[in-house]
Amino acid sequence: MKQVTISKKFEFSASHRYWKPDWSDEKNKQVFGLCTSPYGHGHNYELHVTVSGTVDPVTGMIINLSTLKEIVNKIIERFDHKFLNLDTPYFKDRVPTTENIALVLFELIDERLSKRENIKLQKIRLYERHDLYVDVWRGES
Amino acid sequence: MKLQVSLSRVYRFSAAHRLHAPQMDDEGNARLYDKCNNLNGHGHDYTLEITIRGRIDQETGMIIPLQDIDRAAHSVIDPLDHKHLDMEVGYFRTHRSTGEEIVQYLWDQLQNFLGDKLFKIKLWETNNNYFELERKS
Repeated sequence: MKQVTISKKFEFSASHRYWKPDWSDEKNKQVFGLCTSPYGHGHNYELHVTVSGTVDPVTGMIINLSTLKEIVNKIIERFDHKFLNLDTPYFKDRVPTTENIALVLFELIDERLSKRENIKLQKIRLYERHDLYVDVWRGES
Repeated sequence: MKLQVSLSRVYRFSAAHRLHAPQMDDEGNARLYDKCNNLNGHGHDYTLEITIRGRIDQETGMIIPLQDIDRAAHSVIDPLDHKHLDMEVGYFRTHRSTGEEIVQYLWDQLQNFLGDKLFKIKLWETNNNYFELERKS
């Protein structure tokens, strides 16, 4: 079986802080190191969004890239130039690690794309920096 | 639907090597390995991507503490960095220092530290060729 995918790359910049309020200062520092810095720190994130689906015989496309861009940009707007801990509702109860940010982004994008027929959000890759990235994808079942 | 999550970290090391199979004569080696058989060796800036798959710890929000993956990576990579693989790394006295062999060496070494969490490694020898090794369940 073969599968065609289309991917688009996006960028956003945001700050965050790794901090568990129920832990002591020492424990936070010990576990999170530099990432506990009190006023937060930031990254230029790079997001790769991969969509699979049937290639429309008329348009030759799985999804119009402009449509994908519009959908994802609407979501990224909530993250871009924000302090993720305070300026977004997603990290009240969880640390905004790259893993958690990627999970939130997958769920938000998936929610929008699943309303459309014949396409599926296949995978996302979120780069925090060039040397650290997280992939989120659908399992087999 | 169950979402899968993996975390990857990218490391670099630089090393020299020479591809030469002792079972073959000089002419055969030159024909097979071409430039990579250069008598005095040559080198590359290798890039290694290490991917860990697993559950996100609900407390820390992390699959693995970055220190753990860094420690494993450096324990394995540092002995290769700025070395001549064939002359200075024991494993490559009996194995050719091709990307295919290096990637298997790195996998075995990393597994000592990371165990089953190690999901995939990708070794770039140059910007144009890379070697991957992935756990198949």
